[in-house]
Amino acid sequence: MGFTSAAFFAFTLLVAGIYFLFPKKNRWAVLLAASYLYYFLTSGSLLLLLIATTLITFLTALWLDFINRQFDQTKTAGVEELSREQKKAAAAQVKRKKQLVLAIGLAAVLGILAFLKYFNFFATNFNVLLAALSVPAAIPKFNLLLPLGISFYTFQSAGYLIDVFRGKIQADRNPFKFALFVSFFPQIVQGPISRYSQLAHQLYEGHSLDYDRIKFGAQLVLWGLFKKMVIADRAAVIVNTIFNGQNQYEGFTVFFGAMLYTLQIYGDFSGGIDVARGIAQIFGIDLVNNFARPLFATSIEDFWRRWHITLSSWMRDYVFYPLSLSRLFVRMGRFFRRTLGASIGKLMPTFTAMVITFLLVGIWHGANWKFVAYGMYNGLLIGLGILFGPQVSRLAEKLGFTPGRGFTRGLQILGTFVLVCFGRYFSRAASFMAALRLLDRTFSSFNPQVIIDGSLLNLGLDGKELIVLLIAIVILLTADYLQEKGIALRERLSRQVLPLRWLVYLMAIFAVLIFGVYGINFNASSFIYMGF
Amino acid sequence: MLDKILEVLATLRPEVDFTENHHLIDDGILDSFDIVTLVGELNDAFDIEIGVEDLLPENFNSPAAMLRLIERLQS
Repeated sequence: MGFTSAAFFAFTLLVAGIYFLFPKKNRWAVLLAASYLYYFLTSGSLLLLLIATTLITFLTALWLDFINRQFDQTKTAGVEELSREQKKAAAAQVKRKKQLVLAIGLAAVLGILAFLKYFNFFATNFNVLLAALSVPAAIPKFNLLLPLGISFYTFQSAGYLIDVFRGKIQADRNPFKFALFVSFFPQIVQGPISRYSQLAHQLYEGHSLDYDRIKFGAQLVLWGLFKKMVIADRAAVIVNTIFNGQNQYEGFTVFFGAMLYTLQIYGDFSGGIDVARGIAQIFGIDLVNNFARPLFATSIEDFWRRWHITLSSWMRDYVFYPLSLSRLFVRMGRFFRRTLGASIGKLMPTFTAMVITFLLVGIWHGANWKFVAYGMYNGLLIGLGILFGPQVSRLAEKLGFTPGRGFTRGLQILGTFVLVCFGRYFSRAASFMAALRLLDRTFSSFNPQVIIDGSLLNLGLDGKELIVLLIAIVILLTADYLQEKGIALRERLSRQVLPLRWLVYLMAIFAVLIFGVYGINFNASSFIYMGF
Repeated sequence: MLDKILEVLATLRPEVDFTENHHLIDDGILDSFDIVTLVGELNDAFDIEIGVEDLLPENFNSPAAMLRLIERLQS
């Protein structure tokens, strides 16, 4: 029951109907029942793994809360008798205890993910190593099924635990409500990875039926379907031809495939998120946005502030910050300041933390060397930006450019897009070696003539289809451009006269119905990020 | 103490007017790299230990907010 299937929309309509029929204070229970039903229908008995993660997280958070409260009581009870040193020692002891509890909880929750997603990758590579050393042994491999959305709900749960540990939020006392926070059906498939403080209370309180919300929600769903079915699934035809082919393409043709894949994955992922956000909005729930016009990024660093925002901000808050501020990294900073000088030395810990963070971003996508390479590629580009960005900016200004403005901004956006496309070779190719071969073939021939000689029409889409794709991309870029300029499109549309409004709606509906790419049984293909 | 904070900020990002701006984080003027560097400098300058749990927008949105954080950590 994928996001673009008729069955899913029928299911959503039914749930919405029941939701608004229930008394307000019980509406959250409808969402929980629907979410668990949805998960069971798509994943069967793998639902047990979702329940396991939910329970472990819920109980660990309660334990952390218990330690916090115990400490607060001793503080208020005997504050006069304790000296400053004693108080400090007591606080340190509590912190150690909490760290241990957090470590147990995280090890269990992330352990499930690590085992299911990464064990076979580890076993394969370890066995290669054993064979290379001529050791006559091998780790067995398991036929593991990956539960739907595990990378998303695991990260959401882990973030919740760390927030309770840091005292940012209190532990949830209701296991059923908490189960809804982990499993909310529009977002479990491919995110966004939400924070408890932003989402939980919205899920728990009952929302009234609101025409504006339903209207805006439905518009967002329609826009998401347009991006997914008209753009992404159409671009996929060419992308698959080029990337699944036996290396018969070269030069610009391969890069054209990478460019289309960049647009495809943007349409696919952000389209899916728009469907999720639109449905949530109908229930009165605002899911956090995951994209901020990534194609208008002016650097790779800026790109990651605009692309899959909930993953990058998760990594920033729970990996990058703790790593950069850890004792080890502070000591490393001092060491490099002594050896490399103040200006570069100061940046070395940030650089190192950044590369490690992006290595994890890469591995998050899957157990494969190509994702390791994808993470490292992005991490190194951002790292180089940290180390040499200021010097490059100063040089550019001396040469008469104004970074971030006008023509120079356009150049930055174009350059970033090209760098992003090259990164996509790693995330799209079948393997790391395949990505290297494709890169090699891109540079082995200079053939810009393919743009006009009709070669691009032999990649699976004929001229008409290609024009539809091009127009759809222009619509997407125009919408993004207007939003980049600060124009709220849905609000602006709702102020137009009725006939114009409906003309736009009908055009959008027909665009999806007529130009959407359908497979067997009129189901659109599944989402790329569903596989992560 | 505020002057010292402004001094640290000025070396970090000379082009920003820190006395005017009260939404340094919310408006994206200071990014995560700036924050990490800034925390290191403030720790050294005031002999404090700013922890991960203190890295909230409300603690870094303005020099005055940073001053409050530092005073809290010193007491």
